[in-house]
Amino acid sequence: MSTEVSDSTNLSEKKDFLVRSSSLKDVRNFSREVFEKFKINEELREELVLAIAEAAQNIVKHAYKDYPDTQDRMAVRISCTDKELEISFFDKGKPVEKSKVKHRAIDDVKPGGLGTFFIQEIMDSIKFKEGDKPWINNLVLTKKL
Amino acid sequence: MTYKVTDEGDTSTVFLDGEIDMDKTEGAKEVIFPLIDAGKNVNLNLSSVQYMDSSGISVLIESHQKALEKGTKLVIKDVSKSVLKVIMMAKLEQILNLE
Repeated sequence: MSTEVSDSTNLSEKKDFLVRSSSLKDVRNFSREVFEKFKINEELREELVLAIAEAAQNIVKHAYKDYPDTQDRMAVRISCTDKELEISFFDKGKPVEKSKVKHRAIDDVKPGGLGTFFIQEIMDSIKFKEGDKPWINNLVLTKKL
Repeated sequence: MTYKVTDEGDTSTVFLDGEIDMDKTEGAKEVIFPLIDAGKNVNLNLSSVQYMDSSGISVLIESHQKALEKGTKLVIKDVSKSVLKVIMMAKLEQILNLE
């Protein structure tokens, strides 16, 4: 884990993970550690951990769909001011087609399609950006505190 | 995730624990689906599951639908507060059989 910025009003932690489903537990543990450090209340903390884990899962499932044995790494950066939390994801997988990112209709009960819905329910904004080299995708989630 | 299964008549109770995510769902299905396929009613005890993401919720939906198809019943019992919150976020509390 690296602390990028640390002063009284702006904190930021970043860590990278191998892109695979077995890393999701490490992503959650990293997030919990950071939120504890940032003194985010426990109830919100677990919601945020779910949103982060769903976004990381989407990288594994979609951006690297055809590359289950990749050695690529994805990075998660959590930044916090006194007013807002910003969570960024960086990966080198298949470029995200924004038009295809949508959840299933919530009343059409069937397995799958809920991860993006959870992210939307928990976070205030979701933005897909092109990543600066070497990254391909950069997803940015924000939540007002 | 670890699990334990107990049997009583035509009902099996599956006790899952730990955190159920994309990495653990195949293991959960391998325990639950054969019981439903064998015509058993299944109680799924989630009291020791502290975290479940959308992949875990998909296993609950798939198991519920499979049980309906087979004419058996899947009951989800003793759901921990954290997992119940996710079930409610997915608006499934009226769809799944929760006790």
